[in-house]
Amino acid sequence: MFSTKSFLGIVLFLLMTVTLIGCNNESSSENTGVDESSEVPETEVDNSQDWNGQTVKVQLIGDFSMEDSTDPITGETTPGLKDVKEEFERQHPGATVEFILMPWEGYTEKTQAMLTSSEADVYQMPGIADFAAQGLLEPLQPYMDKDEEFSTDIFIDQQVDGWKALGPESSDLEIFGLPFFGDARFITYDKKLFDDWGVEYLSEHPTMEEIGDKAAKMTGTNPVTGEQNYGIWFRGDWSSAFTLVNAAEGLGGKWGTGFAWDEVEFEFNSPEMVKSLNWLLEMQELAPEGIVSNQGQEKWMTKDNNIAIMLNTGPGELVEQVQAQGLEDRIAIAQEFKNEDGAGGLFAGSPITMAKDSENKDLAWEWLKYATSEYAQQYFYTTGAFPSVKSALEWESVKEHEDLLGPVFEAMSTPYNSPRYHWAAAQPRFILTSEIEAALTDQRNAQEALDKAQKESTEWLENR
Amino acid sequence: MNENQAKVQPNQEPERRPISPLNRQENEQSKRVVKKDKKKAFGSGIIWYIFLIPAFLGILLFMVYPIFESLRLSFYQSNGTMETFIGLDNFKTILTSGPFWNSVWNTFYIGIFQILITIPLGFIFASLINSTPRGQNFFKVIYFLPNVTSIVAAAMIFAFVLHPEMGIVNYILETIGLPTPGWLSNPSTSKWAVILLSVWHWIGFVIIICLANLQAISPEMYEAARIDGAGRVQQWLFITIPNMTATFAFLLITGWIGALQRFNEVYVLGGPSGSPARSIQTMGAFIYERGFTGFEFGMASAATYVMFIIILIFTFLNIKISNMKL
Repeated sequence: MFSTKSFLGIVLFLLMTVTLIGCNNESSSENTGVDESSEVPETEVDNSQDWNGQTVKVQLIGDFSMEDSTDPITGETTPGLKDVKEEFERQHPGATVEFILMPWEGYTEKTQAMLTSSEADVYQMPGIADFAAQGLLEPLQPYMDKDEEFSTDIFIDQQVDGWKALGPESSDLEIFGLPFFGDARFITYDKKLFDDWGVEYLSEHPTMEEIGDKAAKMTGTNPVTGEQNYGIWFRGDWSSAFTLVNAAEGLGGKWGTGFAWDEVEFEFNSPEMVKSLNWLLEMQELAPEGIVSNQGQEKWMTKDNNIAIMLNTGPGELVEQVQAQGLEDRIAIAQEFKNEDGAGGLFAGSPITMAKDSENKDLAWEWLKYATSEYAQQYFYTTGAFPSVKSALEWESVKEHEDLLGPVFEAMSTPYNSPRYHWAAAQPRFILTSEIEAALTDQRNAQEALDKAQKESTEWLENR
Repeated sequence: MNENQAKVQPNQEPERRPISPLNRQENEQSKRVVKKDKKKAFGSGIIWYIFLIPAFLGILLFMVYPIFESLRLSFYQSNGTMETFIGLDNFKTILTSGPFWNSVWNTFYIGIFQILITIPLGFIFASLINSTPRGQNFFKVIYFLPNVTSIVAAAMIFAFVLHPEMGIVNYILETIGLPTPGWLSNPSTSKWAVILLSVWHWIGFVIIICLANLQAISPEMYEAARIDGAGRVQQWLFITIPNMTATFAFLLITGWIGALQRFNEVYVLGGPSGSPARSIQTMGAFIYERGFTGFEFGMASAATYVMFIIILIFTFLNIKISNMKL
């Protein structure tokens, strides 16, 4: 059936495969995902209730898997969810955890479908405001009141307040979710390019003028490498609305007021917003072509980087990328623009919530507490998610990168939160983004574009 | 009744046999046989209905029910769980919405140019492949390859190919001294980036369909034309093209329906709002944006029905124009 050559080829291929697997000296079974150097107190077994036969179904969004996997950036083993499942079940004898994993792509509609069909008890839910308004979520204050063990002091400042939302009949903001994964927006820059151009590093809280001046100095042919450099880059499409609103915050402006839709009033064409958009148009001249199609930043976070300052960046895979590329001495972080109260920038991340029609609410509450415990937070940190608890600052794995992560935690505790950009998942975000794009592509000037955005957003509010 | 009729009619009557106990038994037996046959036929026939039930239920559940549910939703303000009846307000909003008509324009612009370029070009390529004495299968495979590629993956690659600074297209244009457009970063060229991608992706299908028809044209017609002194171009113009009309009509209609439903590639290249500045937002993307990113399911359903009516009208026009028989 096989010729001798084919047979030998197959044998050689198998031999090579076995050899390569054998050469891998990492033992995945030993990696629990928890920072072993830090002391995580072993939680006692909870026998306060009979958990026997109870199941909590947990929905998670992102690149999670039950089994161990290999990180595509660092090549290291990422522990699977089975570890957190086992630990929770150990702490709650008789209880079972079932995970429902989904990718970020289309998470909103998938979450909606799952909630409608009572698919899970606990949800990771960035769009909490929309779901709470539909009456699909359980208010958590009663659980917090009767649980003496639990305190919201464990969370990074602003995180609990930031995720508050309105129920269908509530007049005040309520707690429907606990901060699960943290997130923040900040300005990142490449110190090497600053050194090459002889420009002073960004201050901790730079102004628009400072960024504009320094970006202008670093646009052109690098005096050391001879390569074309660009002073700045920002996304001109998907997240441009947040970049613009943050710039306006730096000038004392804001996106608008109100949380309930019938109380919301947009200020998209305020003088601060117009000035900020004009500033972005100026900055575009210092950026590579393609910012409105998310292009031009391909070399960012590599040794060949040609961009000095990157606006509106997030912490996702930050440490991993810096480490993988050997950029520890190059990448630094400054805060986004802040208003007089020291607040500014997108409030982001993921809270964890309990479904209103969960059949095992007590167990679901136990999972919520567990997911925000130090053990689980450390585990999720190893999978690339950012922690939401203050104690993370004491972890060895965080301290090791304090220069980088310190400013990230600071950014997490100072977002614009009064109220946050809850319209980010609704039509006004797309209206504003499209008009920013129209201005960036010379379809309209800044004033016209923002007037149009204001008009369309207000009409949308009236027609809801 | 006339005389002739009266004469003819008795002859037409079937022969009547006298009723005897034996005949009655025969009759009953034959009735039983017919009944049994019918029962058997029904019994064996019902199996096929049973086989059809799963697919039929699937169609009812996943196609018929959503169609009617979507129609119902279009009269409501709905975020998925809370609904308020608002009559025709969603249709009014859609029909007076600037972004919706912009998405209709984008859909038609991209669709028209895709069809105008791909069908003639595909036909020319098919004719060339059909004329090659050797390696036809090789060319068929090569030209058909883009069509079996995932449009999502192809769109991602095209974003690199059309990169304003690092893309190979601009590199070639620059090398030969032509201006380099911003492609996806400029609303005036972004539609052409999508057209290029869709032509590249669809042309393989057009070539295969044209080739099938080309190979079905009788060689005797060409032989007769050659005897009459027709040249190659004349044969192509007066024999090949007239024999291809049914194929062109088929490609026109399927191309139109596909073009009006365009979503995947524009979503990958420009997101749900068709960046930059809604320049590549198609009707499908508009529906997605309102329904799945903004929780406006009623609005999205109304837009879906407006899109359905637009497709219906244009398909009807296409059938009329191309004289295609359904």
